[in-house]
Amino acid sequence: MHYWIYFVLTIGILGTLTLAFEAGGGPALGMATVVLGSLAYLALKIELARRQVGKLRELQTAYQQLDEQAKLIIRTDLELHRIQEELDKRLASLMSLHELGRQLAVSLRPEEIYSKLDIPTVASFGFEIGLLGMCHSSGSISWNSLVGIEQTLGEAVRDHLVQSGLLKQMMSATSPLTLQEGISTQPSQQRLLELLHATFAVVASIIPHTGPSGCLILGRSGGPAGNLRADEELLSILTNQLATAVENSALYEKAWTSQQELEHKVQERTSELAQVNTALMRLNQAKSDFVSAVSHELRTPLAAIKGYAALLLTGQFGSLSHPQEERIGKIEKHADLLTAFISNLLDIARIESGRITMEQRLIPIDDFLGSIQDVINPQMESKQIRYDVEHGNVTHLTGDTQHLQRVFVNLLSNAIKYTPPNGRIHLRFRQANGTLTASVSDTGCGISAEDLPKLFQEFYRANDPVNQQIRGTGLGLALVKRIIEAHHGTIQVASEKNKGSTFTLTLPTG
Amino acid sequence: MSQALTMSIGWSVRADALRAGKEAASSAMERLGVTPPKLALAFSSIHLHQESLLEGIHSVIGKTPLLGGSSAGVILPTGPVSHGCVVILLACSTLSCSVGAGEGVKDRQRECGQQAAFGALRDFPGNQRSCFLMFADGLAPGYSDVVRGICEVLGTSFLVVGGMAGDDMRFSKTYQYCKQRVLHNAVVGALLGGPICIGIGNAHGFAPISKPHRVTKAAGPIVYELDGQPAATVYEDYLGHESIAHMQKQGLSRQGIAYPLGWQADSSSPLLLRNVIGFGEGGSLCCTADVSEGSTLQLMIGNRELVLEAAAKAAKQAMQSVNRLSGILVFDAAVRKRLLGPQQAAQEIAMIQSVIGQSVPLAGCYTYGEQVPLQTASGYETANQTGSILIIALGT
Repeated sequence: MHYWIYFVLTIGILGTLTLAFEAGGGPALGMATVVLGSLAYLALKIELARRQVGKLRELQTAYQQLDEQAKLIIRTDLELHRIQEELDKRLASLMSLHELGRQLAVSLRPEEIYSKLDIPTVASFGFEIGLLGMCHSSGSISWNSLVGIEQTLGEAVRDHLVQSGLLKQMMSATSPLTLQEGISTQPSQQRLLELLHATFAVVASIIPHTGPSGCLILGRSGGPAGNLRADEELLSILTNQLATAVENSALYEKAWTSQQELEHKVQERTSELAQVNTALMRLNQAKSDFVSAVSHELRTPLAAIKGYAALLLTGQFGSLSHPQEERIGKIEKHADLLTAFISNLLDIARIESGRITMEQRLIPIDDFLGSIQDVINPQMESKQIRYDVEHGNVTHLTGDTQHLQRVFVNLLSNAIKYTPPNGRIHLRFRQANGTLTASVSDTGCGISAEDLPKLFQEFYRANDPVNQQIRGTGLGLALVKRIIEAHHGTIQVASEKNKGSTFTLTLPTG
Repeated sequence: MSQALTMSIGWSVRADALRAGKEAASSAMERLGVTPPKLALAFSSIHLHQESLLEGIHSVIGKTPLLGGSSAGVILPTGPVSHGCVVILLACSTLSCSVGAGEGVKDRQRECGQQAAFGALRDFPGNQRSCFLMFADGLAPGYSDVVRGICEVLGTSFLVVGGMAGDDMRFSKTYQYCKQRVLHNAVVGALLGGPICIGIGNAHGFAPISKPHRVTKAAGPIVYELDGQPAATVYEDYLGHESIAHMQKQGLSRQGIAYPLGWQADSSSPLLLRNVIGFGEGGSLCCTADVSEGSTLQLMIGNRELVLEAAAKAAKQAMQSVNRLSGILVFDAAVRKRLLGPQQAAQEIAMIQSVIGQSVPLAGCYTYGEQVPLQTASGYETANQTGSILIIALGT
């Protein structure tokens, strides 16, 4: 298009020059120059304008292209925003679920659990209205949490759920029910939406294995936002959490009740045992007192019997025949036996009642062994029993001399009694870590396994052919045990039938 | 008595409104110390019973003038809270303040603005007036006439700043507080005066991405035509049919928030944000604030990083005018909170605190719009927009 400008301009210049020359004279030339200049300026302006318009058109085209590209960018970005919004919503829901789960974990009563729904939780799930309640055995429901809905309206919702059968439908459904305005076909569901002032609601049941079941309704007026499936999944998770919490609370209550019952029973048994123990202690004390009293009462006539027997033997009341002397001797002997028996009883009673305190003295071992040997030697030699004593580095015993002598005399006497002639008895002492250990071993007839546990009981004698021949009261080992225990020591026995026995006792050295 | 302006903040997240109000007011009074408060500001989420909330607050603050409203969430020194309330107390021996209210803003905007300003002016005890802090029903269509009414009473270039009450994105009903009254469909405001410094910072962090389109037909916040075509058609051309369908179902969605409209009255005016909140008959768009015929609209783009940067920029801007900073009020657009998400929203507040200092009292709320002063070639104007963050720094 611009070539015609140059053509016209050229024609114009030539024409003007021709006219100027024809007209002749300076003014004409001057006018011609002005006209030519104006034309040239005009042409230049037109050309510049043309070029500017061209540039503007190019810019406009580029701008339009950029705008189109912006549209592509915007649409792509919008899709990302939509996804991000959905993710944010899901994240907020999950965080609320987590927080709610944490609160439910420390709730111990169903009423408390069903009251946990609050405004921030419902809002974070993307809803405006929330109802959570417990079902009763009567078929009704009571709301423990009401969010975004007043109490009176909540009661109206409850009545509608019960009367329309919607509650039963919810409790029998295995997954949450979705109600949408204009889509849900059941009149009862539409009515529920009307009562809630909602256009969209999700309802679900909470059915724990133990504990009260419940019902959860979440609603909003804006319709399903985003993923409908996500709302149903969320409600499923939430109802599962609630059901688990209710089950845990029921289990806790059961465990608590059982523990309370157990504690009560333990207290009862402990009380009974304490009473029985008190009674036993009284009985034991009464026994000890009885034994002590009887023993004292028996000693007096025994002393008289012994005294008169001794007098008769002296011949003061006339000479006695041999059979008379023999029988009086037996009276004396049996009186001595009875006296020894009564003494042992009294000692046991006194030790048990704490009326005897054991002296704590250092006893030279050699002197001690010597005094024992003096007592048992005659018996030992009569049966030709070999007697070995081993005391190693033990130089002293610590305790009551008299009572410890009775212990070892008793143990050794028993060993002699139950060891056949030509047998062996070994007495051994060891000391270590503040404890003296003494053992009396024999090669006698031994003790059967069933007799071992009862050996130290009062009046107990093993059912043994040897015992049937050898007299005894069954008090010796009981007295030995009392004396050792009064010294804060221990005594044990190990034995095998026909192979011998070993009595081991310990005594503290300090 | 102290001549320095003191600001204290108390808050509560209780579900019981009466106890929440008492708790928030009590903790604010405790932090204030012995100085009696001159003005109380209160913001709360819509979930609390408003009358009970105010009763609880007044049981502690007594006859101290109260101003405030419901919101789309409150901003605390600890970060944003969706369900709670905050009470801010201002104390200074030389601070003068009074409050006023105008009702029926949806139908009589100018008169409402005049009424609120006149009410505050009538009770104003001092001589030196500094600023009019206003809160209004965020669901009313546009506020140009309201501000015009206020300026007619207080002065053409008088500083008018504030936010629009919200209701947690329900767009159903908002509340405004004035003294002991809970109002609805109202404008409330506090006239502040005395030797105090007020710094204003405002930014949105969005940038234009599309070419400008001329508004060929509009009325108030309703845009009927752009470049002679139905506005919704032009809008749909950018966002795509699916997004539009989604927005029509969901209302103000993230998509709409991420791409607000930038409105420019003329080539010399700054770009103010408008969000599309609905679609009307005949392919019209309903925006969150007024759009005039002959102006231009273009699509704006923002992302979380730009939005966060804008918060820091607004904080720095606000602090420039104040020597001794006593505290700051934050009025953040609710749409920004939705765009950022909960974690980034908390980060936004933390970013502001990192600029102003951790020890400076900070509180506010999420609004449906911000009333900000703008410096133009012709002088000083006020402008209403949504999608920005408004930071008011108070000090001496």
